[in-house]
Amino acid sequence: MSINQALPFISTAIMLGFTIHVLQRFFVRRQLHFLFWGVGLAMFGAGSFAEAYLALAWNKWVFFIWYLFGAALNAAWLGHGTLYLLVRKKWVHGLTIMLVLGSLFAGYLMLQVMPKLDTEIFTTEKLISEQYGTKVLEAGKTAPEGAQTARATYRGQNVTVVRGLLPLGSTVRLTTPFFNIYGLLTLVGGAIWSAYLFWRKRVMPNRVIGNVLIASGALLIGFASTLTRLGYGQFLYLGELLSAILMFAGFRFAARPQPDEVPQSVPVAATD
Amino acid sequence: MQSVKMPDQNQKISKSHIPRNSLFFEKIVPSLLILMGVITLGLILFAVAVLIGIVHF
Repeated sequence: MSINQALPFISTAIMLGFTIHVLQRFFVRRQLHFLFWGVGLAMFGAGSFAEAYLALAWNKWVFFIWYLFGAALNAAWLGHGTLYLLVRKKWVHGLTIMLVLGSLFAGYLMLQVMPKLDTEIFTTEKLISEQYGTKVLEAGKTAPEGAQTARATYRGQNVTVVRGLLPLGSTVRLTTPFFNIYGLLTLVGGAIWSAYLFWRKRVMPNRVIGNVLIASGALLIGFASTLTRLGYGQFLYLGELLSAILMFAGFRFAARPQPDEVPQSVPVAATD
Repeated sequence: MQSVKMPDQNQKISKSHIPRNSLFFEKIVPSLLILMGVITLGLILFAVAVLIGIVHF
């Protein structure tokens, strides 16, 4: 096993510790944002572990976990926790119902597609995020090195496709951007907004720094994933590890106990 | 009545407030927040472009 292949296992261990830490807080304080963060972090850890496993061997249920939890759902659940922290309104419960139903629906769609996986093309030579989806090869473009192509009919047209595990036009893939846009907006946007609020009020420097770390960690994994899908997969595992470290550090930093707010001056009766 | 600062509590104030004239908090933090906001917006627009089929990803 190379160092690069070992990195996701380290990320998984960090995420496991992070998840336990956050869920412990939920059981003590009973605040919903800890629950959603805990579930989101568990999904992140499961996705990270699945990715590491799939770099060594094939298992269709590990792939199920990787796609559903690692690629589709985790950012949305993490971000929803941030929304619960920032917005104490009833409509957030409505969004919770939508998120839960949407996640169940994505799980159902994923189960539907499992018998149709093109497992023949799976290889441990490539990252799972470089081989999971079947893509249409645009006219005039050549397939990436080592990729397998085939002819297929898509939307009434005869096209050449680069074969991937999930069939062309899988409905489950259409759900992923919705979850990820929502996750990006709430997790990163929420952390930036929190940092800005504390910065503007000039209080809680630990929360300013903590939220900056959380936002940068979340952005880093977004970047690493985007680079992977553009063909630069060598940064993914390192990006995941740094993201896990940054978010955990940010959370610990933001949650660090601070001295109570005290007035700038204390009125004292002058008796003399 | 007269306002008198309490030395032991002033120490606490400095820990829970952003220090004045700090280069990190005055320049670096706001720049980072703006930069991350712009990147987030860019990523969201990119994801929307993928969703509606403008960018094939």
